[in-house]
Amino acid sequence: MRTISKCFSIFSIAIAISLGAAQADDDPIGDRQAIMSSVGAAAGLGGGWMKGDIAYSPAAGKAAIAAMRAASLTFGDYFPDGSNTGDTEAAPAIWDNRAGFDTEIAKFAAATGTAMEASGRAGPADLDAFKAAMGPVFGTCKSCHEGFRVKN
Amino acid sequence: MKKLFLLVIVLGGAAALAGWFLSAPTRLDANTVANLGPGDPVNGELVFWASGCSSCHAAPEAKGDDKLKLGGGLRLETPFGVFVAPNVSQDPNDGIGNWSVADLANAMTHGTSPDGRNYYPAFPYASYARMDLADINDLFSFMKTLPAVGGDAGPNELAFPFNIRRGVGLWKRMFLDPAPVVAAPVGGEDVDPAIWERGRYLVEGPGHCGECHTPRDFAGGLILADWLGGAPAATGEGRVPNITPVAGAFGSWSASDIAYYLESGFTPDYDSVGGEMVPVQENMARLPGSDREAIGIYLRALPAVSRDAQ
Repeated sequence: MRTISKCFSIFSIAIAISLGAAQADDDPIGDRQAIMSSVGAAAGLGGGWMKGDIAYSPAAGKAAIAAMRAASLTFGDYFPDGSNTGDTEAAPAIWDNRAGFDTEIAKFAAATGTAMEASGRAGPADLDAFKAAMGPVFGTCKSCHEGFRVKN
Repeated sequence: MKKLFLLVIVLGGAAALAGWFLSAPTRLDANTVANLGPGDPVNGELVFWASGCSSCHAAPEAKGDDKLKLGGGLRLETPFGVFVAPNVSQDPNDGIGNWSVADLANAMTHGTSPDGRNYYPAFPYASYARMDLADINDLFSFMKTLPAVGGDAGPNELAFPFNIRRGVGLWKRMFLDPAPVVAAPVGGEDVDPAIWERGRYLVEGPGHCGECHTPRDFAGGLILADWLGGAPAATGEGRVPNITPVAGAFGSWSASDIAYYLESGFTPDYDSVGGEMVPVQENMARLPGSDREAIGIYLRALPAVSRDAQ
């Protein structure tokens, strides 16, 4: 029994590793940029509403928050060793100070978690509710970009 | 041969003497400062944010009220060595609590300390030289309301010859010029001159935008022909972007896009502000909206710098 459970745990570790390898695929830079562009698009919707350029709707508000939520839970996984060079604006600090980077990602995830809860089933009812939910998420953008993103 | 030797000695001595006089720190006329009267701390606070004092003189990454604790300590790691931002809090010993308004004005517009030494231009007095003395007077009265913070931030760490302060006097002779950089708005028939001038004042003077966004020559002087045309980051990685109206990323921004960016930290594409621009944007967000609009209008009416400055 013990051997079986041992085998099982080794097996599950192997699966976890192979899953990890599948996740850290051939193009982590392209993948993380795609995730970040969905963040930018969601922020763009939010900005359009706040500026009054487009009409707000609760369902769209929820979609923007959900996009942020999904990104916040996955984005940090796409910075494996070796993906620090190439066509990337990722700062060397991500690899030199991984704990600091992880803290920023955790702030992002915490803010989107709260925003999801606040948005409820139908999404934030009006623009003020959306701003209250999304404001703290927006704050985490520059908090992370201050130290972990480099413009070339 | 002997005569030639003598000539070299004489010429060398003359050059040294000329160098000594040319490198002497300069000061404002004492009467100009004496007639300023009491400052207005309310406007002084706006001048404080516009000038970005806390970006270097508060603790690195300070947020909120900690930005008002000006104990210094930021290390600017540049090709010339490490400049350490000094304590400019109201502490009478470690800070500038004993300074007069004339001391502050001489420091900010002439780069000269109360005891007659040259400051290094890492302190952006080459930009602050364009400020109105009335604004510096107001700034002084606001700084008087800020807390004293104990502790000396420590000396600069510079290699020879940059460690010779006197030599900075020659740099000032070459590069310290209070005249405006841009004489008139480009294609600016539709530009309100008063708003444009306000933008020019904020960008070229207190905002000291050119200190990072303009490339420098071998002597560390700004290359004014490439004004705000982008530059390699003096500290750390990457480039500081070209913010003239040139085709490409920044060229498509409108004046109100610029104002919105300075207020919210978001670009027109909803990328966010990053790097060393974060504290700058947070400072600009504290100014009246009309000032951010003025900055946008000035930047849109700049001569375009198309060549990718070194």
